Amino acid sequence: MSVQSLEIRRSSASVWGSPSGMRSVPTVAKYIDTSTCIGCKACEVACQEWNDLPPLSTQQVGTYQTLPTLDAGFWNLIRFDEREVEGGLMWLMRKDQCMHCAEPGCLEACPAPGAIVQYANGIVDVNQDNCIGCGYCETGCPFDVPKFHAKTGKMAKCTLCVDRSSVGLEPACVKACPTGCLHFGTKEDMVALGSLRVDQLKKGGFTTAALYDPQGVGGTSVVTVLAHAEHPEWYGLPRDPHVPLGVKFWKKWLRPIGFLAIFGAIVGAFGHHLYHGNKGHVDPGPVDPDEPKA
Amino acid sequence: MSKVVRQIGFDEGAYVAREKEDVVVGNEIIRHRLSSRVIHWSVGVSFFACLVTGLPVWTPVFGWMATLVGGLSVCRIVHPWFGLGFALASLAMAVQWWGDMKMTKEERGWVGPKLLEYLRDSANHDKIGKYNGGQKVYFYTSKLSALGLLVSGVVLWFPTSFPQWLRVFAILLHDVTFILFAVSLVFHIYLAAVAEPGTLNSMTRGTVSKAWARIHHPKWYRELMGLEK
Repeated sequence: MSVQSLEIRRSSASVWGSPSGMRSVPTVAKYIDTSTCIGCKACEVACQEWNDLPPLSTQQVGTYQTLPTLDAGFWNLIRFDEREVEGGLMWLMRKDQCMHCAEPGCLEACPAPGAIVQYANGIVDVNQDNCIGCGYCETGCPFDVPKFHAKTGKMAKCTLCVDRSSVGLEPACVKACPTGCLHFGTKEDMVALGSLRVDQLKKGGFTTAALYDPQGVGGTSVVTVLAHAEHPEWYGLPRDPHVPLGVKFWKKWLRPIGFLAIFGAIVGAFGHHLYHGNKGHVDPGPVDPDEPKA
Repeated sequence: MSKVVRQIGFDEGAYVAREKEDVVVGNEIIRHRLSSRVIHWSVGVSFFACLVTGLPVWTPVFGWMATLVGGLSVCRIVHPWFGLGFALASLAMAVQWWGDMKMTKEERGWVGPKLLEYLRDSANHDKIGKYNGGQKVYFYTSKLSALGLLVSGVVLWFPTSFPQWLRVFAILLHDVTFILFAVSLVFHIYLAAVAEPGTLNSMTRGTVSKAWARIHHPKWYRELMGLEK
């Protein structure tokens, strides 16, 4: 659903969004601290409730994890992972959801005008009205976030509670979190908060702690504190995410080249006819006595 | 066919062309029998159905085409089915024409300089049989494109069943094969329907004039007229 009070910065398969330049809106972000997450899943429940998503059957994957992956009807998933580090056991939990990339691969790959939009405040949202269920967004996403409704094929994912955040409320998951490992505010503030927490962790012995805000996709509006940032894959995060090169090449080069090639061929054919005229307009005349003149 | 009872308005050429080709009927030569023409137009119609439903997804510049079928969502649903039809029709075409499309060493030159000579009207046509090298090159281009479009199209049809790298590859392959086919199709349509009068008739009524055959396919003409030594 598009939100009236928010201008659109970018829109899929469209040259412009709707930024008029009149309003000044800061980029917002969600802060996730994996080191203080206790895996209570209150955020999962809050997400389902606020977004009117009915409960799904859980699937046992060998941990406390609710489902193996995100789902069109489940936009907020706590991932559980266990790692042995220097003889000790690390129990890692991370809130998985749409990362709201500054340069969203889903939006870039989407062929349906206005189906995926990026609001002026950085939130990336889906307009199910315009979505055609082609699945290109999933091909463009480096985080495997877009999931599709089984019946309609339409994509659904976390909206960063744009309906709440556009009127000054925090997302439902942040509201529900009991440990304060989730925060919501301007991107600037959330990055500052992340740096503070990373410093604390480093002093506490987690020397490789860092804030996950991958620059390969222009930074994200979901920033994640990782105690073991040298191994983002332990948390199910790609090390250096970027929009697949093939998708960029396709949109930026192959499509315009193809467009020009096809129109070039049409112009060439016209030109050929203007210059050469019809081929074989000469009457060859009879070649043998029995052959009548055509 | 001389046994046929001739009535006023009886079209012997079209009648013979139902089942036979490469035969002379009066002043005409049957070039494509009915089954060949049905296959050709199945390929043509299914391809244009794909084009109208595929271009709006390819780029919003052609978004207006989607309204012809009821919107972009309809395109997403029907395009793969039209594509499947195109692939099947192309397969039938490949089978039907395969024997006629064997290329000689000389004809391989049509991939490059000979094609330009032909377009400049400076080629020596004397040895050209039923199909010239350019037509054969177009045949292989279109069949290769159809294969590429089918393989990549299946991946794009069911995106969630394939890994990401394969979907990216499929998007690129679908585009490259489409561009290749579309460019060659422009010249196919131009040469057949515009630049060589009398050619279109071979794919509608099935026949060409003797003069046409002698100008464009002299060796084929001589063979059919019993003039080839």
